[in-house]
Amino acid sequence: MLRMVSLLAGAGVASLVATPALAERGTDGVVNILSWQAPSIMNPYLSGGEKDTDAASLVLEPLASYDENGELFPRLAAEIPTVENGGVAKDLKSITWKLKPGLKWSDGTTVTAKDVVFTANYCMDPKGGCAALARFQGVDKVEALDDLTVKVTFKELTVVPYTLFVAMWSPIIQAKQFADCLGTKAPTCTEANFYPVGTGPFVVANFKPNDAVQLKANPNYRDPNKPAFAGVNFKGGGDALGAARAVLQTSEYDYAGMLQVAPDVLSKMEKGGKGKLLSVFGTNVETLFMNLTDPSASLPPEERSTDKHPHPILSDVRVRQALSMALDRARLSEIGYGSMGKPTCDFVPAPPIFAAGNTECLKQDIPGAVKLLDEAGWKPGPDGIREKDSKKLKLTFVTTTNATRNQFQAIIKQWWHEIGVDVELRSLDASVFFSSDPSSPDTYQKFYADVQMWTNYSDAPDPGEYVATYTCNKAPLPDKQWQGSNVPRYCDTNYDALVKELGKTAAIEKRAEIVKKLNTILSDSYAIMPLVWRSSVSATSKTLGGYVGSGDSRFWNAQDWYRRK
Amino acid sequence: MMSEPGVLTIKPQAGPDDVLLRIIDLTLHFPTYRGVLGRQVGGIRAVDGVNLEVRRGRTLGLVGESGCGKTTTGRVILRLYDPTGGRIEFDGEDITHIQGKKLRRMRARMQMIFQDPQACLNPRMTVGSIIAEPLNEHRALKGKEKEKRTRELLDAVGLNPKFANRYPHEFSGGQRQRIGIARALALNPDFIVCDEPIAALDVSIQAQVVNLLKDLQEQFSLTYLFISHDLSMVRHLCEDVAVMYLGKVMELGPRDLIYKDPMHPYTKALLSAVPVPDPRVERARQRIILKGDLPSPANPPSGCRFRTRCPVAFDRCAAEQPAWRKVAGNRWVACHRAE
Amino acid sequence: MLNYAIRRLLMAVPTLFLISLMIFSLLKLAPGDPLSQLPLTIPPEVREKMRAALGVDEPLIVQYLLWLKQFFVIEPLRGFDILFGTHLSDGMQRIISWQTRGPVFSMIAERLPQTLLVVGLAYIVGVLIAVPIGIVSAYKQYSVFDQIGTFLSMLGLAVPPFFSGVLAILIFAVYLDWLPTIYNTNLIVNSWSNFTEQFLQMAMPVMVLAVQTIASISRYLRSSMLDNLEQDYVRTARAKGMGENVVVFIHVLRNSMIPVVTVITLGLPSVFGGAIVTEQIFRVNGIGQLLITAIYANDVPTVQTLAFIFAVLIVVFNLIADLLYGVLDPRIRYD
Ligand SMILES: Nc1ncnc2c1ncn2[C@@H]1O[C@H](COP(=O)(O)OP(=O)(O)O)[C@@H](O)[C@H]1O
Ligand code: SF4
Ligand SMILES: [Mg+2]
Repeated sequence: MLRMVSLLAGAGVASLVATPALAERGTDGVVNILSWQAPSIMNPYLSGGEKDTDAASLVLEPLASYDENGELFPRLAAEIPTVENGGVAKDLKSITWKLKPGLKWSDGTTVTAKDVVFTANYCMDPKGGCAALARFQGVDKVEALDDLTVKVTFKELTVVPYTLFVAMWSPIIQAKQFADCLGTKAPTCTEANFYPVGTGPFVVANFKPNDAVQLKANPNYRDPNKPAFAGVNFKGGGDALGAARAVLQTSEYDYAGMLQVAPDVLSKMEKGGKGKLLSVFGTNVETLFMNLTDPSASLPPEERSTDKHPHPILSDVRVRQALSMALDRARLSEIGYGSMGKPTCDFVPAPPIFAAGNTECLKQDIPGAVKLLDEAGWKPGPDGIREKDSKKLKLTFVTTTNATRNQFQAIIKQWWHEIGVDVELRSLDASVFFSSDPSSPDTYQKFYADVQMWTNYSDAPDPGEYVATYTCNKAPLPDKQWQGSNVPRYCDTNYDALVKELGKTAAIEKRAEIVKKLNTILSDSYAIMPLVWRSSVSATSKTLGGYVGSGDSRFWNAQDWYRRK
Repeated sequence: MMSEPGVLTIKPQAGPDDVLLRIIDLTLHFPTYRGVLGRQVGGIRAVDGVNLEVRRGRTLGLVGESGCGKTTTGRVILRLYDPTGGRIEFDGEDITHIQGKKLRRMRARMQMIFQDPQACLNPRMTVGSIIAEPLNEHRALKGKEKEKRTRELLDAVGLNPKFANRYPHEFSGGQRQRIGIARALALNPDFIVCDEPIAALDVSIQAQVVNLLKDLQEQFSLTYLFISHDLSMVRHLCEDVAVMYLGKVMELGPRDLIYKDPMHPYTKALLSAVPVPDPRVERARQRIILKGDLPSPANPPSGCRFRTRCPVAFDRCAAEQPAWRKVAGNRWVACHRAE
Repeated sequence: MLNYAIRRLLMAVPTLFLISLMIFSLLKLAPGDPLSQLPLTIPPEVREKMRAALGVDEPLIVQYLLWLKQFFVIEPLRGFDILFGTHLSDGMQRIISWQTRGPVFSMIAERLPQTLLVVGLAYIVGVLIAVPIGIVSAYKQYSVFDQIGTFLSMLGLAVPPFFSGVLAILIFAVYLDWLPTIYNTNLIVNSWSNFTEQFLQMAMPVMVLAVQTIASISRYLRSSMLDNLEQDYVRTARAKGMGENVVVFIHVLRNSMIPVVTVITLGLPSVFGGAIVTEQIFRVNGIGQLLITAIYANDVPTVQTLAFIFAVLIVVFNLIADLLYGVLDPRIRYD
């Protein structure tokens, strides 16, 4: 997930980045980070979970990262390769990265192009179970041209070549340390996975999985004056509320992130004046998904919830639109997220250049919804529930067990009831709901229900991949082990064609135009209904200076943090 | 419920030394609690104005139905419960309220043999240590001497002295009662309360234990309060008999007089239930069947507490408590009809 | 007694095998997926490969037998190597957690110290406080002390640690600012100030946990004492002229402790099992937190291994409790 500072939060951030005192390395003591989800492993290639990749970003670095504005900046690379500077081939089929000269690993050895090539081999090994494998797909070969130059050749034209070696999910690992960890041996390299040699501002000194990580300043970090902190004490466990308390109320810790806590509770804690809250709006959108196929249990398992049987109620776009019109997104956002959320009609809410900024869905229109349902032939029955051909307008609505979501369910049920729709609510444990186990009937991908609610997001600032998740061929099917990102089973040839066009378009303005069009097509289909644009909330103590809560990792600029005196 | 001033007329029989134990107007009320917080709501009058005297070297039998307060009386006498009222005199000394060291010293002289020979022995102590324990406390006997004394005692009650290292559960009921007796004898007491010592034993063993008690009485010149509900056993063992009903003594007197000529209607009823060995007398025996249940000691009847079941009760019995009166020689009775 | 113990242990072997099979099957039957916590942006094909790398898709019998081999052969060999400096287990695949890709036993070893320290200390403190409370409440039944004790015990048993823990944090950390809310597992005690720090960080979790132990053990001892105080042998002891101290502490307490010692022993496996809620609240991150995070993450090897170790501990401590009973109570003999 990528976090980008919204315009609103920007002001707060700016004051935090106030000129750091020019300090020497390691003079500011230890910075204390609290994460209620503790890191399990320091090798992002074997996890992909944010709690791990964020922590690892203190140690391992990619060639380039995204900054707080969602813009690429070089880390190990000397500069960002572009078509203009010749780094990206004119035919968009290869990219050539140049390393900064004189880079050292934390053990003192030199970083070379061979390490970068090794990293690619490590992740692309089919038996290794690399979590970032998708970023390496389409790569033909990765070769070292000289000690400092790496050339990545793609099989096909690739308009956004900044996937592998970019951002915290795909950092460079040391060839020497991981030499014996390829393929099936990857999980056995406990020492390397817990104590990776890196180039980042810190080195792991003591790793206790799911509990605590102690890091110390990297003696070979490329900027001799950084980091200002001599070490990081990274503690995990507990819950989000306790983490917020430790920063905002007892000042035991300098930073706590992923604070999914009721907004009023957090702002009350912040009033104590011991710390600050920071909301970072990424691309997280709490969304309703309509099942366009029939989930009826009477269908044979290989046909249930597949395009063989359109949904008896929801395949009618008027019904879907009516359901959307009955929603008051602003109310939902206010109740569930306060200042940490914003009502939205876009499933691509950011970065600004790609956001369509649609607003017409925000106004609740119950009479309009009623009219639409009447037109669609659903007439109120004796009990107020609409019927058509003696079939009741009744929907099952599933989400994960979570206070805010279950509250949303109840509110939405009431609104839909007002327009004569009967709703049966269900909630499932997140680990069951988001399981990819094809034998479980309860996964979000199987969609044995009519409506689902969960948060979807893009993990790259360029939404090219994200919009492509709703193409016809991505619908989960039994013969694909029910895997597939197009959960509503939406299928529109126009949409698919536009996605294809996007894949061939390199110019950013053109791309933005296409993404906005795609966003509007999907929104107007009401197959998915974006509700609330959610921020990620973190808290920092008053004495932590230099923290900027966005970029690809929450700790992307840890080298610049310092202790405020 | 206060007894008549007749109590005051009790006089020592043949000099002060003749009576070893005298209890006057003794009462013991168990508090009762109710509710979660256990508020005290009333009392069970287990012993409610008892007068007794036990003469040195003799045995007083205390009889009565189960639940009438015999055990409680025995225990109050030994000060295992603190009396609610009245007075206990032992060997001329008022022991009603003595405490601490004095009480413990006195306990060496008064002992108890319990009804349940199993429950009265600490299951986690060996027989030897059960017997020897008070010897440390009261006699300051050490090592060898203590062992010797333990062996002597086991021998005296007819047990193999080697058993000293065993635990109580390894013995039979009769053997356990012997251990209980040996334990009671350890400190050379003058007075022993035998609380139904044979009631829990097999009939075949009962006689053995009773004979043992008799032998020991002679050997150590002991004074017994023998509690029992078995009138034939009392007749066999006791010189004097006291009959108790619902916390009070109804009649007290020498055994032969009581058995031949009971004066209290309750004593008469009890005796009428005892089979007589002579078949002619047995045939002529008229059983007096008592009606009704034993009233609750928490709320005894007014006046005479036997009146609810007394076959000869009359109106005065409900209004007035019969006095504890001396009728003749050593005979005492509490009944309006016996005046 | 030794024969009895050996016989019981042998009899436990098939039971434990059955338990391990049941744990395994239950874990496999339960819905869930070790990858469910990963970002949705990881595409299905990649997930498939990750699952394969974890061995999730191997036939169940293969997975179970592998675990058995790892648990009963490789891990003991590994322990042997550590003790005697040999290299018997080199290159063998130990039980690996799906979450951390690290050996499960290393994690257990890492977490056992804080669990034993906090949960164990709470247990000891709890028992030490419970015993005098139980004695006095029984000896002075219905007294003010007893009634306050009863009330507080009911409170202690009724209030769950997620409430009392947070309450303690609000009072002692937020308002009074005396105690830390976060347990530092990396603290090394080698000086007076470290010791104080360790003491302070243990104070709240130990308190919260001890309250539960105090409440249950003191109630237990109280009723056991009351049972015994009514016994004739206590009267015997008094009739012997023994002092009240001897009567209460030698006669009554020793007999009353028999069932209580059993209860205390049977509670010991839970000390090793840690305290899930309290460990979470104060971030002690011991065995309890390991188990709960492993359950949430569907980390089957970790859950399976922990659950099986608990099963073994329960069997062993049951046996110890039975043997202790035999030692303490001469009426019980095992032949
Ligand atoms: N510890 C006690 N608490 C309350 N009531 C008691 C207690 N012990 C005896 N009682 C009651 O006192 C009365 C007399 O009991 P007890 O002396 O044992 O009678 P007996 O020995 O003649 O059968 C009974 O009603 C009994 O229930
Ligand atoms: S006083 Fe009355 S009731 Fe009591 S025994 Fe005598 S006659 Fe019966
Ligand atoms: Mg009795």
